[in-house]
Amino acid sequence: MKLGKLMFLTTLFGVASLWSQNKQLLYDFYEIPQSLMVNPGVKASEKWHTGIPALSGLSFQAATSGVTVNDLFANDGVDFTTKVRERLIEDMSKRDDFSTTSQIELFNIGFRGKNRPDDYYSFGMYGETDVIVYWPKDLAILAFEGNGGDNIGRSFDLGDLNLRGEMVNVFHFGINRKISNTLTVGARAKIYSSIFQFQSIKNSGSFTTTVGQDNIYANNINADLELQTSGIEEISDILDEDTSTTQRDLASLFTRRVLFGGNLGLGFDAGFTYHLNPQTTITGSVLDVGFIYNSKDIKNYTLRGSATNEGIDVILPEDINNINNDLWQELIDEIEESVPFNDNDTSSYISFRPIKVYGSFRYDFGLKEASNKDCGCAINQDSGQNDDLYRNSVGGQLFMIKRPRGIQAALTGFYQKRLGRTLSLKTTYTVDKYSFSNIGLGLSLQAGPVNFYVLGDNLLGYRNVADSHYASLQFGFNIISWNGN
Amino acid sequence: MKKLLSPFLLLVTTVILILSCAEEQDFDQFDDLSVTPIVASSIFYLESDEEFINSASAASTFYAQTFNFDAFNEQFVAERLLQGTMIYELENTTSKTLSITIEFLDEGGNLLDLESFSIDPAPAQPQIIEVAYGPGGKSLDILTNTSNLRVIGNNLGDVTSVSSEPEPKIIMRSAAEFLFRLK
Repeated sequence: MKLGKLMFLTTLFGVASLWSQNKQLLYDFYEIPQSLMVNPGVKASEKWHTGIPALSGLSFQAATSGVTVNDLFANDGVDFTTKVRERLIEDMSKRDDFSTTSQIELFNIGFRGKNRPDDYYSFGMYGETDVIVYWPKDLAILAFEGNGGDNIGRSFDLGDLNLRGEMVNVFHFGINRKISNTLTVGARAKIYSSIFQFQSIKNSGSFTTTVGQDNIYANNINADLELQTSGIEEISDILDEDTSTTQRDLASLFTRRVLFGGNLGLGFDAGFTYHLNPQTTITGSVLDVGFIYNSKDIKNYTLRGSATNEGIDVILPEDINNINNDLWQELIDEIEESVPFNDNDTSSYISFRPIKVYGSFRYDFGLKEASNKDCGCAINQDSGQNDDLYRNSVGGQLFMIKRPRGIQAALTGFYQKRLGRTLSLKTTYTVDKYSFSNIGLGLSLQAGPVNFYVLGDNLLGYRNVADSHYASLQFGFNIISWNGN
Repeated sequence: MKKLLSPFLLLVTTVILILSCAEEQDFDQFDDLSVTPIVASSIFYLESDEEFINSASAASTFYAQTFNFDAFNEQFVAERLLQGTMIYELENTTSKTLSITIEFLDEGGNLLDLESFSIDPAPAQPQIIEVAYGPGGKSLDILTNTSNLRVIGNNLGDVTSVSSEPEPKIIMRSAAEFLFRLK
């Protein structure tokens, strides 16, 4: 595969494969311990749990709100350039994005306080990669069509360039407390150890070619562009060396950065569960309210300034004595001076984590699995069973995430069915910018102390994976001890 | 537990395999992608008032200047240039016939091509001349080998008359519209 092709595909569907961070199937699925990670105030019924290291929580999501792989690469006989022009260049807007989020939980442990049985503590470590690339519509048009022809007079918005990505390792510790039979709250503190980060999110400016004041055309550029990177240069240097120790050097670098050797940050999650009545529950959580202070291995790039170019001009008699024959180079130097490209900026910067907010409403019904004794504790000490375990639940969820171009929201309706204490199923229907036909199915299986869960989103998309705007899969294994187990 | 997990995993795998499929994709289509933008830019602007033309010391040449111009033969441009058009706009409000010649010179100063325009005195209409390069036009090699431009302005009339037009002058505007192949 040629480099250009590889870069194109990678940009569109690799790096750019966008992972919406919504975990609507996991949210409030309290049979799964990892539900604490999306709401630290979820109803926690375990006595203790431990995830199988590196297998307790794996989640992969990829999404595109615009063109799909199938739109471009289907073997449909349509000219590829035509498809790119019509489906990518013309149809996609600057609000369309490609994104990806993945999480690998390295360990996750929880236990109930011995002296405070209403408190459930959990801690662990997970790695997360999150990339979002907005479609740079005007820049794509400029590259595809140029500034000439019909584009004379058109203003190309340089602010269309907008992307952000990072790989971060997260250490966390959370407390879940049952305040009363109706209210459970929770909070989680996080330390972020960044492996790399990049962002170009506050760009503005324009490039316009108009009829010139003196000459035929005037090219005008007004740019305020910045790309901030941390942790990239050292990785790039190792890859460039391409020696026999490259893999080892990379592994060593990643290990160091995973274990607090990179740029560090702080954050927190908070959440609650409140029973309006024995069968009606509302929940809410806010996640990743935090930042990373990027001060190591920084390299920032800027292009700032404004310039107008109407070519070389000679006005007589004023310029008759100007016998310099480097007028063209002078013109270029003048433009570069007016709009300097700076790649030597090593200023520290703060990057904010993408804040997420969940809220839900749940109505439980059907035959209860156990008594609903109000014991004032998280676990019914007498029966050794969870309380309030109805066989059916139905409700709605709202998810919001702060993205560089604003808040993205998703609305979910769900139905959950519990088949005894062994099996619990949850199905969801979600509407968001990526899909109006996202049906998901989640399953939690409790076999003795072992819990296995798998959550798959946008199942209809599997009819033609290449044409799917969204794909998500989460699964994991835990060992759980319920009270009395 | 093993008894439970095995059939379950089998079931999940089977369901996914049954449900998931993908239409045939042809990623080699990328090789057929054609990206050919049109790039437009002004090149050169020459303006001279009639007083200066009349006072020029040389017999008929009021301006002659050679300057470096590597815009066309930059490797990036030269390798990707498919075709182009040079646009010249000439406006003469002086009382005399003037000519402007643009010589395209290579790195060694050798003449590759020239464009010479004779412009009638006022009240002549402005002239717009388009010169095509590439298929159906002049050779692209002229542009891609051009390293210097020599611009010469000649007075083909007298050196005493003055036009009655306000601020009489000769103006030559020039621009290029080039078609490039980026991919």
